[in-house]
Amino acid sequence: DEALQAVAPYAVSHVMSAPQLVLSILSGKPVKIDKIRSDDKNPGLRDYEVSLLRLLERITNGTVIEISVTGTAVLLKPGIIAGGSVTHECPLTRSVGYFLEPVIMLAPFAKKPLSLTLKGITTDDQDLSADLIRTVTLPHLQLFGISDGLELRIKKRGSPPLGGGEVHFLCPIVKQVKTLNFVEAGKIKRIRGIAHAVRISPQFSNRMIEASRSVLNRYIPDIYLYSDVYKGEDSGKSPGYALSLLAESTTGALHCAEATSKPGTAPEDIALLASRALLSEVQGGGCVDRKHQTLILMMMVLGSEDVGKCRMGVPTPRT
Amino acid sequence: ALSAYQQHSRRARRKDWIKLIYSTSLTPEQILSDQPSKSTAQSDGDAEDEFFTIKSEATVGRADEDEDRTKDVLDEEGLKAWEDEELLDSIRGLFITGSSSQ
Repeated sequence: DEALQAVAPYAVSHVMSAPQLVLSILSGKPVKIDKIRSDDKNPGLRDYEVSLLRLLERITNGTVIEISVTGTAVLLKPGIIAGGSVTHECPLTRSVGYFLEPVIMLAPFAKKPLSLTLKGITTDDQDLSADLIRTVTLPHLQLFGISDGLELRIKKRGSPPLGGGEVHFLCPIVKQVKTLNFVEAGKIKRIRGIAHAVRISPQFSNRMIEASRSVLNRYIPDIYLYSDVYKGEDSGKSPGYALSLLAESTTGALHCAEATSKPGTAPEDIALLASRALLSEVQGGGCVDRKHQTLILMMMVLGSEDVGKCRMGVPTPRT
Repeated sequence: ALSAYQQHSRRARRKDWIKLIYSTSLTPEQILSDQPSKSTAQSDGDAEDEFFTIKSEATVGRADEDEDRTKDVLDEEGLKAWEDEELLDSIRGLFITGSSSQ
């Protein structure tokens, strides 16, 4: 917890970011964010940011959140992380990944195991999709000894713009996270993928898989790309398709990439984009996926007094 | 030969992360770009004839929605580089089937 002392007792900033809110809640120190987009044509918090604050309020107990009338200032006085059973309707401006990411950093430290149902968009081009969180983010948590009872179920899929998806996240609680020592990146031994197409011909999944294999088959034989089928009500309200890929190394390092459908693009192109993005990630090296650097660093800070070690690729601006 | 060249250029670009992150006031984008000192050099050069000071990029124009995202925007043009066979072959060594001598 000493590392958290480094955060100023009353942190002030102008951009609301999820990791900042997470640090405030974990450390029990209030955070004030002002002049939010004060130079913008449309100043103040966005609906998804307000929604995230409400969600954090709900999984904690005693948290006080004050938002100014203009929406350009927020004061968060954190309470305790309560956990328990929570259902939250996410706005359609961001996917469930945006909301899950901070929750994943908090939930292991709750009083009670968290059982969270999120409704909204399950895959978009901005945040980690429910598929990547299930197959890549959760295994990253397991590096820290958070594993039994950790689960994400995709009950319904929801593509933008109308969403209609639903995921169920279960997280156990831990007393202490394990110290990470991960410096051997190893060599890629297998590639897995999930292709899905909702409210659209299921043939699109197969076309993506075919195209992706044309790039990836040259490297290793152990490639399994799965076509995930959702029907009727479970496939949400809007058509869409995506390909999520992950590569796993001999030492358990994971790298992932994903591409989602855009109007006027063929599924083959989406698949090539995802496959090539995966190769870039693999080329970037390191023991953890680039999109998970923040999560890993956060968990390393929260570890016991032993010094953790982790080899990473080039940091992203977000990290 | 290509992979050797890439290794060389990568080594040349290796940075002192501790110094860049903790001891400077550069924005994350500046740290990651190859010439971190570019912006300061520019403002020194033509400070004379500029009556209005241009607000730094961070405060105007840049919609900050773009920053608060976990996935990078996929660089379609950049990723086309992977059409190149030599580049595809250059990372073979990172897979278990590739020979380690490469």
